[in-house]
Amino acid sequence: MAASLCALLIVAATSEIVLDGALGRSPLIPKSPSIAGWLSGIGERLGYRVFLIALLVSCAAYAGLIAVVRARERGRVSARFVIGLVVVLHVIVFAGPILLSTDVFSYIAYARLGVVHGINPYTHGPVAIASDPVFQYVGHTWRQVESAYGPLYTLISYPLALLGVTGALWAMKVEALLASAGTLLLVWRCAAARGFDPVLAVLLIGTNPLYVIYGLGGAHNDLLMMLAMMGAVYLMVARPATSRREGAAAALIVGGALAKATAAALLPFMIVSRRRLAPIVGALLALAAGLLAGFLAFGIHGVDLVSALNRDAAFVSSDSFATEIAHLFGKPGVFPIDHDLLKGALVLIVVHLLWRTWRGYDWVAASGWSLLAISVTSTWLLAWYILWPLPLAVVCRDRRLLVATLAVQSMFVIHQITPLLAPVS
Amino acid sequence: MSSASSSAESAEGRWERLPPWLRPRGVELPGKGELRWIETTVLVLVGILLAVATINDVARQTGVNHRLVADIRTWRLYTGHNFHNVGVDQHLLGPATKREVVCGNDVPGAPKEEIQVCLVVDGPIRDGRRKVTAGWYLRAHSEDDVRSKRYGCFGPDGAAFCP
Repeated sequence: MAASLCALLIVAATSEIVLDGALGRSPLIPKSPSIAGWLSGIGERLGYRVFLIALLVSCAAYAGLIAVVRARERGRVSARFVIGLVVVLHVIVFAGPILLSTDVFSYIAYARLGVVHGINPYTHGPVAIASDPVFQYVGHTWRQVESAYGPLYTLISYPLALLGVTGALWAMKVEALLASAGTLLLVWRCAAARGFDPVLAVLLIGTNPLYVIYGLGGAHNDLLMMLAMMGAVYLMVARPATSRREGAAAALIVGGALAKATAAALLPFMIVSRRRLAPIVGALLALAAGLLAGFLAFGIHGVDLVSALNRDAAFVSSDSFATEIAHLFGKPGVFPIDHDLLKGALVLIVVHLLWRTWRGYDWVAASGWSLLAISVTSTWLLAWYILWPLPLAVVCRDRRLLVATLAVQSMFVIHQITPLLAPVS
Repeated sequence: MSSASSSAESAEGRWERLPPWLRPRGVELPGKGELRWIETTVLVLVGILLAVATINDVARQTGVNHRLVADIRTWRLYTGHNFHNVGVDQHLLGPATKREVVCGNDVPGAPKEEIQVCLVVDGPIRDGRRKVTAGWYLRAHSEDDVRSKRYGCFGPDGAAFCP
């Protein structure tokens, strides 16, 4: 009964955001081709107040649902119930507009730069195709910026450019949906292989409000990266363990990193944990193939991921913990020295985790901690960044990681509520 | 392809030369849990820091929003124009000063398309508005931080803001 009520609240809150968002003309809904117009007659324009109330309701119901499932009703909450809830949430968000981010239009713009206009997306930003129909949808901050995504992701998105802007947008939504479905399937299998409750593991990710509303709602390519990550984890935890599987797992991580560089965080922990040649060989072969493909397609700029990462590391967002701590100590914001201090802290954390992994600590947990540390120490924090450690947290042997990840997500949500306390308009 | 477990045994043998505390392990040894206790303590302390920083930032931003509302209301009451597009710059005079610059057109029109009236507002919020300490006019299509485009400065501190 309690589980059903929580599920109903999550579905209702998500539906409210999607139906109101379908009307467009909201600061929370990016300007977009009309892909959800058929839903627009039901809701009202999405304002901060309604969005934040729906988000908070969804978060409270998510916490309640987990508590109920863990505490007493596990026997009464069937796998069918959880899968059904996850499917319903995915369908609702898939049918709706793009939520809360213009990133997907940057993905499409980079693809159209290369395919339609013959311009290298690693040397030119979307501003180079200002007359292209996608340009009006690209976020102002990103119009001058060259692609920071890996060459593999750009090559995957290239064929989608041929579908036109609306077609490519739907294709990106399908890609995000399939990546999410694949990630959840792999999470189920990893949890089962490691002796955890797969139903709870899938529930923790598939109904997570940040995952559903921000990650899936924005059709972010982080979902594709998480799919590669979980594919690698599954290959490593599945029995029997073979060198081929370990090599393939390392290759998958490199593939994920060639889509979005953050995935590379898993590789050192996997290698240190196994201490065998197969993952190193797999990683090197995949890296060589990926870099060669990237170089042939985009030249040297396409494989120069370090400069892209350095450029992005200099960005500062008001939601980052670094900015919040700066404000706490009376500073107006993050200074250059803070970037160095944060990088130093991150290095210390990773070294400690590598040492712990060398001495037998669960490499999946160590990878998850490192991803959480990357997002917490980053000066550019977005909601979908704090999704990275979640699938690892639900299948690792250190429960503290799950608690820490959910705590960080909670703090992110709390940081959003100012417009609710002091509306400006 | 060979089984990974058989190759693992021979591979693990190469670490025998290392002192025991440096050797790799397949699984952690059950110990007193001191390291785990230290890690958990550090995590809790970091968590408290992040939580305090988050709450502080929400309170700070709430104060900023209250000031923003009061600034816009002050501009509308001072100029007598109930315009929708009024811009507030909270950084121009230093974010810590809480002195803000509020600009809006002096006649109806698109933002910054007409001559703008800018006010420097300061002090606490009383009756939903703040004190105007200075002001100036700004030529159309100008940013409010371009000093050379200002003219007709007024108010007690007005002289300090014109070229």
